[in-house]
Amino acid sequence: MSLFWKRRESELEREVAHHLDQLAAEYERQGYARNDAVRLANREFGGATQVKERCRDERRWAWLTGLRQDVVFGWRMMRRNPAITAAAVISLALGIGANTAIGSLMDMVLWRDLPLPNPKQLSLVHWKGHGFPMELMNGMSGRMSGVGGWDVADFFAYPAFAEMRQNVSALASVAAFTYAAPVSVSFAGRPTVAKERAVSGNFFATLGVRPRAGRLLSDIDDAYAAPAVAVVSHGFWVRALGTDPGAVGRAITIDSETYLIAGVLEPGFYGLSPGDAAEIYTPMHHASFLHGERIRRVGSPLENNRFWGTQLVARRRAGVEEARLQPAMDAVFRTTWAQAPKNLETAPRISLDEGRRGLGFLREEFRDPLVVLGGLVTLLLAIACVNIANLLLARAMARQKELAMRISLGCGRARLMRQFLTESALLAAMGATASIGIAWVTATLLGRFLAGDNTLPIGFVLDGRTLAMVGATAAAALVVFGLFPAWQASRRLDAAWLRQGAGSAGALARRGWNSGRWFVTFQMALSVILVMTAVIFTRNLTGIESSDPGFDRRNLVLFSLRPGTSGYDKARLAPFYAELEGRLRATPGVSGVGLAAMRPMNIGGWVETVRMAGETNRYDVSVNAVTPSYLPLYTAGMIAGRNFTRADLSGPARVAIVSADLARRMGGNGVLGRRLAVADGPPGAKPAEYEIVGIAPAIAATSIKDRPYVVWLPFTGDREEATVVLRTSRPPQAVLPAIRRAVSEVDRNLPMVDTITMEEQISKGLQRERMFATLCSGFGILALVLSVVGLYGVISYGASRRRREIGVRLALGARPRNVVSLILREGLGMAVLGILLGVPFLWLGGKYVQKELTNMQPLDPVSLVVALGILLVAALVAAGLPALRAAALDPAETLRQE
Amino acid sequence: MAKKTDLIQGTLDLLILKTVANGPIHGYGIAQRILVTSKELLQVQQGSLYPALHRLERKGVLKAEWRETGNGPMAKVYSLTAAGRSCLRQETEQWQRYAGAVAMVLDS
Repeated sequence: MSLFWKRRESELEREVAHHLDQLAAEYERQGYARNDAVRLANREFGGATQVKERCRDERRWAWLTGLRQDVVFGWRMMRRNPAITAAAVISLALGIGANTAIGSLMDMVLWRDLPLPNPKQLSLVHWKGHGFPMELMNGMSGRMSGVGGWDVADFFAYPAFAEMRQNVSALASVAAFTYAAPVSVSFAGRPTVAKERAVSGNFFATLGVRPRAGRLLSDIDDAYAAPAVAVVSHGFWVRALGTDPGAVGRAITIDSETYLIAGVLEPGFYGLSPGDAAEIYTPMHHASFLHGERIRRVGSPLENNRFWGTQLVARRRAGVEEARLQPAMDAVFRTTWAQAPKNLETAPRISLDEGRRGLGFLREEFRDPLVVLGGLVTLLLAIACVNIANLLLARAMARQKELAMRISLGCGRARLMRQFLTESALLAAMGATASIGIAWVTATLLGRFLAGDNTLPIGFVLDGRTLAMVGATAAAALVVFGLFPAWQASRRLDAAWLRQGAGSAGALARRGWNSGRWFVTFQMALSVILVMTAVIFTRNLTGIESSDPGFDRRNLVLFSLRPGTSGYDKARLAPFYAELEGRLRATPGVSGVGLAAMRPMNIGGWVETVRMAGETNRYDVSVNAVTPSYLPLYTAGMIAGRNFTRADLSGPARVAIVSADLARRMGGNGVLGRRLAVADGPPGAKPAEYEIVGIAPAIAATSIKDRPYVVWLPFTGDREEATVVLRTSRPPQAVLPAIRRAVSEVDRNLPMVDTITMEEQISKGLQRERMFATLCSGFGILALVLSVVGLYGVISYGASRRRREIGVRLALGARPRNVVSLILREGLGMAVLGILLGVPFLWLGGKYVQKELTNMQPLDPVSLVVALGILLVAALVAAGLPALRAAALDPAETLRQE
Repeated sequence: MAKKTDLIQGTLDLLILKTVANGPIHGYGIAQRILVTSKELLQVQQGSLYPALHRLERKGVLKAEWRETGNGPMAKVYSLTAAGRSCLRQETEQWQRYAGAVAMVLDS
């Protein structure tokens, strides 16, 4: 490149020299002496430098040369103030990085297409209706949600799927899948747990996924007679199979049945939604839900058109619109029902939804929080930009001398503006580059926060889209912080100003300083929002965390076991549980142990509607099945009646214990001995009834956030899995090795799942609250630091401009105290004005935040006082330092400087 | 020497193209040729000549190469490109229409 420039330069040089030469030769011919001829030629030609300059402007890449000069010059200016440049780049990097992090997650969760060929051809097959069509079904597995007056559901009977697959094959390829279910897996003697998804043979072909190794499933796998095979995700292959290239064709145990690994999925396929937790794919006819004795008793759901338990995805053939596929599928759907529905108007009908972005539940769950976070990071970036704009303005003022020089040398206003913009762009580019690392860290943390039961952490992907996002954010920031100072700086360059020359307080300076004050006020207003959000989410989290669950949460540890899917048949389960409890109770350091069907503080029960037998009042309750030693882990004793006994555990459950708050609602201690009935049983069946034998103190059983009424049932021994809860007499970590030993003495091959303390379990349920508190605190602190720096800069600049005035005041007898209050008043005035401007926005933004708060109002007065207090103290510090410095001025010195 | 006339804005390009159309020629030659053929009525400002040459070169109507000239040193010699020839035709027509129109107004 530089060689090219040099050649162009020397050619120009030679061309001009040649002309002068010819001209001089002409004069020589006319009889002048050589010396005179050269002088005359030069005079006639005029300013050779100007001509050359104008020739340069005519070149194709002239603007590029100019740009190069601007960049080099800008870089030199930045190097002169490394600390300020670094501060600007860092604040910009934080602002852009936070925006990119949220933006990339929004992209992953809300916008991005699945990495599959022609994703637009995919449709999610749903049906819509009004409630469950109870006459058509006796069981379901899937999701239903209300959309515009309809209930939209995603579950179909397997026979209905088989019909649709066959009868609409001319229009679309229809494939079935289930939601991922937890399974116990063992490969090469190593037990682990994973999520398994059962799929139809055409599932992968429909999506267009290719194998990384081995083969994927095909139609021949859609039969009981086909061998039991499994396809594993690339992630699982790496995590659990040790990236073993020989894994394909080897045996893997899934819930105690043996499968052959048929293939490994390509690494780019992450499932049906970002962070999809499914790692093992089995054919429908060998799904883990078909294992176990119960299925052998009641028959396979695959032949039952009243059990609606599979989800469908369709790939439309090229050119087939959803509007054409929908009626075709609907017609087939109706032929598959067990009987004609009573009311055809309200009967389910097929509804197709866009499938290119995959399953929608993540989108529904995280759209609002991501939008709130997106808004906050935009504000943060705005604050950072304002700071940089202020900085650039100040620098433009400091460069008056240089600017005056450039103007008098003929530099155009446009060129000057370009110079400023180039310098800003340089800052933006550096900030953007540095932001990528920050975005990566933030997005990885955030992705981990977003991960839940059905999702793996969502990672940060650095690809073209993300880079485009970084670029766009940086460009937007550049417009905000770069244009105004550039315009300001080039605006006041009129003759009057030039005459003033390099005076210390020119018109530009005064004007720029005024806009600086407004910048700082604006910044304060934005900070009010960010600091308030930080305070309120932190208080929200600490409020929930410190609320009393009704029991001592310390020294409790819990883990889950899934013996029913690891080879224990029904007859062996009860003795197993009994032995386990006994063995654990005898372990040193364990003071109590109990079993529950559902893990406490993690949903912690199934929801039922119950009523007193013979009464009509219905109550929504959370039900859990527990052993007699479970409740004593939490509470000292029953309020009334008795606890369960071992005798209650054998045979079907006949007795129940209700929580005190439910008993109070239903009629106090009088409920003892009366019968409790489940209100919504399967149609036709006699509802289950239980005799209430005890009233237990109300404790937080499902989560620390809400307290539903609780009904406890005896833990009958036929349950396939259980959560073990232990109370330890020493810190749980010290007792855990002994606990592990005890479990492995009962069964060496049974993995302990999710072994954590109760405190960890409680805080696990508060991930979302913690995410908001952590992120918003981070944003709030950043906003505060940035605005304090901004305020400090403007105040101390103002104070330095008034050195002389202050010197005169001091010389005339003003006390330092007066000077301090003079400057403090100015700083606090800006801060208070900013705060007053910001508060109305809190009120406006409140409704977006409301949904994320548990027991708090968005304008919680305590939080408001705390937030405003923090801001005022910060403003006091920012204005106080320059004030004290000004008060310490030596008047003689300042006056002598003039 | 007759009084030299300043060039009307926009005619310099036309004069250059016409001059170059007679065969490859260097910058000094162009200025001289214009001076001579206009009977010393038109003098091209050197300050405008070279920027104009570079502009025309960038637009692709002129091409330039370094050549030996008769009396020794290498000179940058300009010649017309195909685009330059059609450009010259158009500009000439345009100029003649313009000059004719101005003459008609003045003669009326």
